[in-house]
Amino acid sequence: MSFVRRVAVILGYEWRRALAKKWVLALIVLAIVFQTLILVALAQFIGTVLEVEFDTIWVIGVLQGQGLFVPLIAIIIAGGSMSEEYERGTADILLSKPITKVEYITGKFLGGFSVLCLVEGITTATGVVLSLGLFGPQSELQVAPVLFLAIAYSSLVFFSLSFMFSEVFRRGTLAMFTAFGIFIASSVVSGILSMLYVLTGEQLYEYISKGLPTWSTTNFAQFVVSQLIGTLQSPLQPISSGDFQLAAAIIAVYAGASIVIALVRLVKSDVSKKAD
Amino acid sequence: MSPQSIIAVSNLTKFYGDFKALDSVSFGVKKGWVYGYLGPNGAGKTTTIRTMLGLLRPDQGEVQIDDVNPTRDPVHALQKVGYAPELPTLQTFFSGEQLMDFTGKMFGLDKLTRKEKINQLIDLVGLKEWGNKKIGKYSKGMVQRLSVALALINDPLVLIMDEPTIGMDPEATAHFRNLFTNLSKQGKTVFISSHLLDEVQRICTHVGMINKGKMVFDGPITQVLEAFTRKWVVEAELEEVTKSMISGLEKLDYVEDVEVEGNKLRIGLKEKKDLRGEISSEIFKRKGVLLSLNLQKITLEDAYLRALRGGERK
Repeated sequence: MSFVRRVAVILGYEWRRALAKKWVLALIVLAIVFQTLILVALAQFIGTVLEVEFDTIWVIGVLQGQGLFVPLIAIIIAGGSMSEEYERGTADILLSKPITKVEYITGKFLGGFSVLCLVEGITTATGVVLSLGLFGPQSELQVAPVLFLAIAYSSLVFFSLSFMFSEVFRRGTLAMFTAFGIFIASSVVSGILSMLYVLTGEQLYEYISKGLPTWSTTNFAQFVVSQLIGTLQSPLQPISSGDFQLAAAIIAVYAGASIVIALVRLVKSDVSKKAD
Repeated sequence: MSPQSIIAVSNLTKFYGDFKALDSVSFGVKKGWVYGYLGPNGAGKTTTIRTMLGLLRPDQGEVQIDDVNPTRDPVHALQKVGYAPELPTLQTFFSGEQLMDFTGKMFGLDKLTRKEKINQLIDLVGLKEWGNKKIGKYSKGMVQRLSVALALINDPLVLIMDEPTIGMDPEATAHFRNLFTNLSKQGKTVFISSHLLDEVQRICTHVGMINKGKMVFDGPITQVLEAFTRKWVVEAELEEVTKSMISGLEKLDYVEDVEVEGNKLRIGLKEKKDLRGEISSEIFKRKGVLLSLNLQKITLEDAYLRALRGGERK
């Protein structure tokens, strides 16, 4: 059996494991409901108190829907991916089979990430379909697949961080809380640094802010869209332009470093026994 | 020509921090053997097994399964191994059949072979009615049965089992003992870690004993009984045990020691001889009323306890 087939077997296993969790399914439903509510709210107020371009409102609908729930789902799916196998004692069962640790972790990572991509695909499609229903014909819809890919790529940051903590700590709750804590702390610090930059004009604050994990995560998709269809005015979040290449590079660094740390931890250490 | 060891463990040393869990452990298991691996809790049995499977990295020494090191090349080494862990926690989101199918995929079995194997093994372990039910609904004994079925799905050359009959009812225990014996007759090598000395004595051809991370014995089961069973014991049940009777028995040349438990005496003999006649005469001489008198058979338990206490070999 080849490397690819062994990775595919673990990938399929990871799908079953992630989707067997009722609370992961509940979060996916919540993400869709949240996105629906945003677009319904926009439909209620639009044309009265808010002024936006109707024909590209699907972009705003899609991006808004990703805001909180997608990073949360990414953190939850990745945070349990490696750690739960140790906590339950199933890592012993999986790794006592003819598979290398590299194949195992590759299958786990790709399996979890593809589940996340499915969620992002569903929420993107929901945003597009609801926009068509609520606001009439939409333009620039050919950008939707690119927007989906950009959202998926940007979610790599917190997915990879949570995946790394899952392997390093080998405790699911700790991994999820740490990744979520970084998400919150990064958002807050980024806000403070941006304010300091505006007040002082000191470039250093901006550089530090861009290096934080939330900057690339929250901005990459809109930078890509603005490259393709220009900037958009939104009542909730303006779709602004920016250095999408820098954002892409920062995402790659966070994801790459996290994957390498997780891999080294797995390969260089013993498979820990079931937690008592 | 003696066959090559299919499991070869040499100078295996493993530390957990400062604690030396395995101290230069070496043994070999040849094709067709049923090897019982014995030791008290914390002796290093599970550490040995987990190192054999490549789950733990040894600090020194190495393991070879059919000449392949499982730490360096798990794909080839573990392709030939079936493993049933002690009280396993299986993936509860699968049914028994689904988990067997997934395990078959991990061994690269094609769909038809997997289907055949699942039908055959699920029947063999007595889970036919439960195969399509979620594992979360299984009892401990059923999980243990499924674990053995999973270990057999790849038709392994080597079967490694950690306390395989724990949690099983007596009928299932007997069934699985027969199964392991039959597997060894088919040329498979069975490695069993167990606390159940009676079980090991019944089915194992060879025994390894480990205590505090060190091997204290490795050899055929007949040899362990000889090596560590120093004496025979006569067990006498009396109507009443008196002090004079005990001291009288202790003075006899062929008696090593006398243990008292209620109205029973355990009389240890210095030689491996049936001396029940002499013992009963002594008891009658001291006006004792004998209810029963038995020569205790040599058990693995005696040998095991003696080996663990560091008793000298005969």
